Amino acid sequence: MINSFYIQGIMNTGSGFALSIIIGFFFGLVLEKAGFGSSRRLAGIFYFREMTVLKVMFTAVVVACLGFGYLSGFGFVDMGNIYLMPTIYGAQIIGGLVFGVGFVMSGWCPGTAAVGLASGSIDALIFLIGAIVGSIIYSETFAFIKPIANWGDCGVSYVYNLTGMSRTSFSFIFTLIAIACFWFAEFVEKERIKEGFYLRGQFLKAFSFLLFVAAAGLFAFNGSDAKVNVAGKSLAAITPQARLNIAEEGKDHISPEELADMLIKGQKNLLVIDIRPESEYSNFHIRGALNISMSNLPEFLLPYKNKGDVVIYSNGMTHPAQARDVLLSENYMNVYILTDGLAGFKEQCLKPVSLRTEPVSDKKAMNINAWRKFFLTK
Amino acid sequence: MKNLENKKSPLMNPYLAGVFLGLTLLASFVFLGAGLGASGGIARIGAFMERWAFPAHVSLSEYFGRWGENPLRYYLVFMLAGVFAGGLFSAISKGRVLIKIEKGKKASIALRVALSFIGGIIVGFASRLAGGCTSGQALSGGAMLFSGSLIFLVCIFIGGYAAAWFLRRQWND
Repeated sequence: MINSFYIQGIMNTGSGFALSIIIGFFFGLVLEKAGFGSSRRLAGIFYFREMTVLKVMFTAVVVACLGFGYLSGFGFVDMGNIYLMPTIYGAQIIGGLVFGVGFVMSGWCPGTAAVGLASGSIDALIFLIGAIVGSIIYSETFAFIKPIANWGDCGVSYVYNLTGMSRTSFSFIFTLIAIACFWFAEFVEKERIKEGFYLRGQFLKAFSFLLFVAAAGLFAFNGSDAKVNVAGKSLAAITPQARLNIAEEGKDHISPEELADMLIKGQKNLLVIDIRPESEYSNFHIRGALNISMSNLPEFLLPYKNKGDVVIYSNGMTHPAQARDVLLSENYMNVYILTDGLAGFKEQCLKPVSLRTEPVSDKKAMNINAWRKFFLTK
Repeated sequence: MKNLENKKSPLMNPYLAGVFLGLTLLASFVFLGAGLGASGGIARIGAFMERWAFPAHVSLSEYFGRWGENPLRYYLVFMLAGVFAGGLFSAISKGRVLIKIEKGKKASIALRVALSFIGGIIVGFASRLAGGCTSGQALSGGAMLFSGSLIFLVCIFIGGYAAAWFLRRQWND
């Protein structure tokens, strides 16, 4: 498992900045080589003249999507390693429509304009100054905009969950759509500017075939996925008696110390979920925890049903226990709640030795110092 | 202009460029733990400039204020610098650096400058509202199959095609 800078909390440090520059360099390099340093070419897609944007963008999305599928299939990465952006329907629909108008008006978007500026485009410079002004206007009018900015906030939402498909099935269909779009783009260019270069020759045929094979290959990993789901369904619903037994034996709890050790060791397939409001989460959270609201738990956890361990916490234990009950009734057997919640975690793991009234052994003191170092440094 | 470009140094095969872009994005997810982004860096520069001019005002601001004393200490600012550097490296090596204003032959410079600026304001504003631009939301979020990012992507094209006809004059030859 590769621990990302995000999960280590070092994105905004010197090494994070260095990595960001390197990644940005390749990003800019590819954009320029694709011809995105030209506003005319970028705007071309809106006049069905030049479909380069569609070809490059859709290829990149599909390659990254399938690549991520393979890497997680082999166990190199998982979703917990990545900053998961929330879906806010109102803000993203309105934002997208408005963005599109600005895009066709200027012929630029932020990343390509940086490349345009590097290529000597004065219109890119003017666009970037405008974009800075637009950001300032947003901040100044935020009090009025806020209701729209939060309108339709659904937390982390995956499109394949909406469609009821597995990630793999959706990725497969998504790839087929991309291939269809590529052929459509070539056809448009042939009709409009007598180009359609890739309609001739073997390249696009071979490329389409490779993407198809790569997308289909993901189903090889999905075997285990499918089995878990089937097993989950065939389980008879857990009886109330069984539920009470589990609760009585404390099998659904995890102690703060256990959790802290698991996180420090970077245990695989461990998902820690903070169900407090975002404001409290951004103030402080257990390192590596994701912020998912209670109402979004069922949708979010679907891919993790009976796969790995899921720990849910809040300040206390009431809400996590309620969430656990609901999930247990849906046959989730891998959901744990943090004993005494975040308050207990702070008390047990993060309280400095000097402030403790109880005697602390040397070994425990070492642990406490390690925990404090891991969970309190940013 | 275009012919000149094509003659001098042909562009990369768009599908191969897409593959490299996808691999760059994948590397960003795996090692950095987040996708690519550009508008975040631009907004940070805006916050920095406004803070420089009106420090007390920005400290109290609900949006820029939360970015703290030094808004530039943020990974996307550095990524944006990297994008510029990568673009410059490639443009120089391919001999594509040329100080110019791109427009259609019939369009005036004033029109093109005005539309670039207003378009920039709109894009800067909309990127903040949507929580990212074509890079951070559409490309990165789309690859992760986030519902909101894919809807954002679709809406960019709806908005773009709806406005395209009204703005066609700047590209007319």
